[in-house]
Amino acid sequence: MDASAGTTEAFPASLTERDIAALLFVAEMYAVQIDQLAAVLGVTEARARAITLGWRRARYAESAKIGPGRPWIWLTRAGLSASGLPYRAVSPALSRLAHLRAVVSVRLALEAAPGYARAGAFWRGERRLRAAAGGRVGLREHIPDAEVHWPDGAPVSFAGECWAVEAELTRKTVARTAAIMQEILSRTGDYGCPAGQARMPGVAPRHARVVYLCSPAAGPTVARARAALGETGRRVEIRRLPPGADMAGPAGGTGGPAR
Amino acid sequence: MIRRYLGVMAVLAALRLAGRLARAAAIVLLVVAAAPVSLVAALAVTLAWLGGWAPRRLYRAALACLPMVAVWLVAAAIAGRSVPHAAAAPYQAWLAAWHQLAAGSAALAATTIAPAAIPLGLAVAGLAWSRRIYAMETGTGGIFPTSPAAFQARQWRRQVRTARAKIAAPGSVPLLSRRGAIVAGAVIRSAGHRAADLAMIPYQRLRSHQVVIGTTGTGKTTLLLRLWAGFLARGLQLHAAGAGHRPLLVVLDCKGGADARRVADRVRRVLRDAGARYTAVWPDEASLSLWELPPADLTGTLLDMIEHGTGAAAYYADVMEAIVALAVGAPCGPPSSAADFLARLDAGWLGLAYAGPGHGAEAALLRPAARHVSDIALRFRTLFRRLGTGLDGPGGFGDADAWYCILEGTADVAVAEAQARALVDLLAQYAAHGAGADREILLAVDEFSAVSRRLPIWQLYERARSLGLAVQVSAQSWQGLAPDDDDRYRLAATADGGIWLLRTPHPDPVTAMAGNRPVLDTSRRLLGVPHWSHEGSSRVREEPVADPALIRRLEVGQAAYIYRGGVTFVQVKRLVAAPAALAEPPPAGDRALHPATAAAGDQVRPASAAWPVSPAVAPLPADAAPTGQPAMAVADVTALLDEAFGAEPG
Repeated sequence: MDASAGTTEAFPASLTERDIAALLFVAEMYAVQIDQLAAVLGVTEARARAITLGWRRARYAESAKIGPGRPWIWLTRAGLSASGLPYRAVSPALSRLAHLRAVVSVRLALEAAPGYARAGAFWRGERRLRAAAGGRVGLREHIPDAEVHWPDGAPVSFAGECWAVEAELTRKTVARTAAIMQEILSRTGDYGCPAGQARMPGVAPRHARVVYLCSPAAGPTVARARAALGETGRRVEIRRLPPGADMAGPAGGTGGPAR
Repeated sequence: MIRRYLGVMAVLAALRLAGRLARAAAIVLLVVAAAPVSLVAALAVTLAWLGGWAPRRLYRAALACLPMVAVWLVAAAIAGRSVPHAAAAPYQAWLAAWHQLAAGSAALAATTIAPAAIPLGLAVAGLAWSRRIYAMETGTGGIFPTSPAAFQARQWRRQVRTARAKIAAPGSVPLLSRRGAIVAGAVIRSAGHRAADLAMIPYQRLRSHQVVIGTTGTGKTTLLLRLWAGFLARGLQLHAAGAGHRPLLVVLDCKGGADARRVADRVRRVLRDAGARYTAVWPDEASLSLWELPPADLTGTLLDMIEHGTGAAAYYADVMEAIVALAVGAPCGPPSSAADFLARLDAGWLGLAYAGPGHGAEAALLRPAARHVSDIALRFRTLFRRLGTGLDGPGGFGDADAWYCILEGTADVAVAEAQARALVDLLAQYAAHGAGADREILLAVDEFSAVSRRLPIWQLYERARSLGLAVQVSAQSWQGLAPDDDDRYRLAATADGGIWLLRTPHPDPVTAMAGNRPVLDTSRRLLGVPHWSHEGSSRVREEPVADPALIRRLEVGQAAYIYRGGVTFVQVKRLVAAPAALAEPPPAGDRALHPATAAAGDQVRPASAAWPVSPAVAPLPADAAPTGQPAMAVADVTALLDEAFGAEPG
């Protein structure tokens, strides 16, 4: 993970590179559940719990069973500070747990795809986007759940593109969904850029496409919203959320490595 | 007789002492009777003394209290159901406050008298503080002979401290004021200028010529960055409102080197925050096309880029001019690139080009000069090799909101001089004949004298003036402004937009241009410290408006702005740019869009890469439609998404 570069010295010697990468992953995603952390670390859930205990002892992370399913892990202020990430330390909001889990699942599924690693793509989560925007996020401005950047020169036809990723669990109205799609696809500026650059006529859009990962309930609405966009809708990709994205967690057991 | 005289003297002394005691007692009585006002005044004077405030600040605070007083009086009139009752309200409040204090309710007493005591106390404090300053400035105050000087030094330190606190407060120093003036920082002190807390420079002053002088490490770049960002931000605002042309900033950094690259990176980030869509760094990441100049101008520029001798060498200069004119003005059209031009510097090519009918005169001119063509070609080949590809296009000044041009004036003076000449010619051509006529252009030149051998800076100045360009000349010292004093004075005297002085060891010529102001000098007889006699004399003398000694002592980030016979000392607020966002070059497809970006090629890239190029700054082709977004070619991503998430639901 590129983001871990240069941060090793901030951690005690007992932390491995894998730990650091996982801490950065957790920081970026707000919070993750233990089974998802196990997938990130590539260990069993039991081992992930032990690793989490070490983080808690170092006061880098906090964990608690705050919702249905498995315990959640998030970084404390000390953990974020040691990671060198300028985020505000907050415990995950109960109302967002389902969404957080869905987004983490999407990221795990995408990163597990061989094409993603081969291209050297990187994930820029909502938390990072909001941090970059600082206080300049408009009240009505929509920030996607993540951006995926495909580096120039990557061995894919879409090298150099930037995608927006949206995890859609609940049904909105078609009009609202279409408006969000339009907003994302017409944006030209980075998040946090001066307002005048956010949508500049004649400038290439920031997001080459937006990828919607939908629950079965939200799928039809998203599809209709895409159809409503006409030609622009060609830049909207719709897929189902990966298995295990709902709060019930993965169907499988907890014995073997998750990844 | 002696006894009677001594008696009279004793009586007189006793009367004098009694008079003094009576006066002191009256003052003490007054102070005690008006204790609330006295307390407010004492507190306000102490604050003004600690903060180095000007008396006007206290007067302003007193005025700001007037609405409160008005409300209070109205309330009193309503409660008493008569206007006379309101008139007596201050006295009644004073009386009530004393009674409440006697009853042990200090807080209630303070609340009762506050509406009257606060504005009055502030006004009294303002008067007392201005009296104190006047006494110190005229040399009539203080216990010790050194008191006035110590007072002035202490006031400066406190004013600096207050200004630093002002700029440290988040959001207190915006880039632009509400009226659109560029805010340079917090005012430390001013003389001959309108007093204000913030140093605000109207946009129009940046549309005039300015001079900036400051040695290395004094905050010159910080000041310049702020002025440039302000110029662009305000210019873009006006342009968006339909009240002005789109601004264009062109910076010629004539020192070059690694430091110039660091500054360029900072400039780009700061200007991006100020609204600049694209800042081109020449020649590292963008290029300009010399070959877009009209043939006549191109010939002159090419000749000026080559160093000529004098005396007998003038003959060769004439020959060169003839050959270059023939190559540029060939019937097939002017050259489109350096390679094209070099290919024409061949006797055979020129002979063929002018072999047709109607070109007898040119062919006749070519015949005696033909034997020199190969030498001329050699000189230009060497020049272009040393110049690199920065002037070989594609690109033009219209492609970006700001250009940061790095000239290697320290490492390779000859090349930098040639580049400077070409850049100025290109800009002049753009401003006079191209789309530049619809741009508001600020040309900022740093240490231009290092490369001004072939283009005297005053010539650049005059040329810019004639084209309507604003020129901002900056140098590390007075001597660095221009090669000789005549040129220096000419530059400084025509700086309609003002002169910025940072710490410099020789500010006198510039401060002299700010003029003098009358100050009162008072002498007093010292009878023995701390006893002063009441005798003395005053005289008016002239003192520089901008004190050169103060300018020599300026600290990092402090500047003196001299304009129309006044000076404002400013604590410049540093602009903090967003982290570098431009890391990788745009993809090949995008590069084809923009000549300047295309020229970036595989050259210098900032190492602090975090994210790929934001399309927000990916510029447009010159002929792109101003509205609507360019259509995007959508690559097929089905395979990857299917791999990660499965097939699209039906």
